[in-house]
Amino acid sequence: MNKLKLNLGPQHPSTHGVLRLILELEGEKILSCEPDIGYLHRGMEKMAEKLSYIQYLPLVDRIDYLAGFFYSELLCRTVEKALNIELSKRVKAIRLILLELNRMASHLLWIGAFLMDLGAVSPFFYAFRERELILQYFEKVSGQRMMNNYFVFGGVRRDIEFLEDIEEILKILPEKVNDYEKLITENPIFIQRTKNKGILDKNTAFNFGITGVNLRASGVELDFRSGDYLYEGIEFKPVVLDGCDSYTRYRARVQEIRESIKIISQALEILKSEKDLNQNLLNPFTLSLPEGEYIQEIEAPRGLASVYIKSTGEKTPYRFKWRTGSYYSVNLLRKLLKGAYLNDAIAISGSLDIILPEVDK
Amino acid sequence: MNWAEFQNIFSDCRLYGDKIVINSNLLKTVDFIKTNYHFDMLKEIIATDNGDGSFELIYRLFSPDDEEDLLLSINVKDETESVSSVFESAVADEKEIYDLFGIKFIGNTELKRLYMPEGWVGHPLRKDYQENDERLKWNE
Repeated sequence: MNKLKLNLGPQHPSTHGVLRLILELEGEKILSCEPDIGYLHRGMEKMAEKLSYIQYLPLVDRIDYLAGFFYSELLCRTVEKALNIELSKRVKAIRLILLELNRMASHLLWIGAFLMDLGAVSPFFYAFRERELILQYFEKVSGQRMMNNYFVFGGVRRDIEFLEDIEEILKILPEKVNDYEKLITENPIFIQRTKNKGILDKNTAFNFGITGVNLRASGVELDFRSGDYLYEGIEFKPVVLDGCDSYTRYRARVQEIRESIKIISQALEILKSEKDLNQNLLNPFTLSLPEGEYIQEIEAPRGLASVYIKSTGEKTPYRFKWRTGSYYSVNLLRKLLKGAYLNDAIAISGSLDIILPEVDK
Repeated sequence: MNWAEFQNIFSDCRLYGDKIVINSNLLKTVDFIKTNYHFDMLKEIIATDNGDGSFELIYRLFSPDDEEDLLLSINVKDETESVSSVFESAVADEKEIYDLFGIKFIGNTELKRLYMPEGWVGHPLRKDYQENDERLKWNE
């Protein structure tokens, strides 16, 4: 049979951005897959070397526009830890609530988009309806729906308000998640398209540097939130499922939404008892890190995100490096798509929750 | 991991802050650490231009069992061994470093331009990179 080279993307509605997969096909079977990235490259690391820390801060939301809070938090955290700044309990609780709301919004969008990849249109509208509640809350608090730019070095831009909105979200969401599960989880078509597809075993996941939900759906209990200083005193259980396929990755994300709800309600209690914001803001104009190297990590919705800063004591960093989860998921496609069928390609790549601005940086 | 035992085998390594600095035998060291101490994941490879024609590569190895990091650092000129035979994720990291720094990894067959277009001159994250490329003038 003749071999055929097929370009999937870069302008393809199911690649969630501009990902180009060069597939080599024999019939419908994929012989090899080569991801081609770089269509969205903005030079985030090069820009960091030219800008002062406060000038760079609004940019980092754009690294992952669906989870901007995580990247602002990561940069703020690196600077704060380097300068030994302690945050007050209220600031920590505010950051925790916004991060977890952001995680839920990101997972909700993924559920909608993934199901649309598989041809089911209505879950997309349901998921966006609930995500809209979260985005509207972000707009109320920070003035922005997505590129929030709300965390600053040593605190937050202003105190959080409208706690009743969060309580409303926490009340509505569990019912709605139940609705999604009724609609999707037992659906025979969905199960056929995802069960036993895109098998990712534990050792392969380690070897390819996969972290986050994708790793925990392969039966590994590794959640970087458990050692995180924001989550101190918060009770939560990492979602670990033992299925290794696309279907398990879907179930893990749905359960993570439920877990986030529990975390937020605990953080709300802290917020109610700690009334004093007590910020420890840094002067952005004189801000510079002492000479040395700094690494900080956070569990972002798409896996481990980390930042490395090498400073020579000047106002701009000497070297700035991002590690993002999706970058490694794209690399994993070379392995997962090999030997799969073309009609599963979208289902498999969709299940890994790849987002392209995070890949291209 | 057991530092004394490790130093017996690789005698030319030393501790610098939290980093283990080695001078040679990169692939062998990484392989040894992975098989003997169960550092099963390579979180990332960080490259830095030292400004004197050499580059520092930091390998962030991670042990999922102990949730422990190990930083392995090596100074290279513009060529070194690829660790992609030990860690598949290194393929992606080395591709990125090749594009942005121009360091060649012997043994990695996928090295080509990643973010920058084909035929681009220079490697943007090098400290001696000249930003006067004529192709950038179209929007002035």
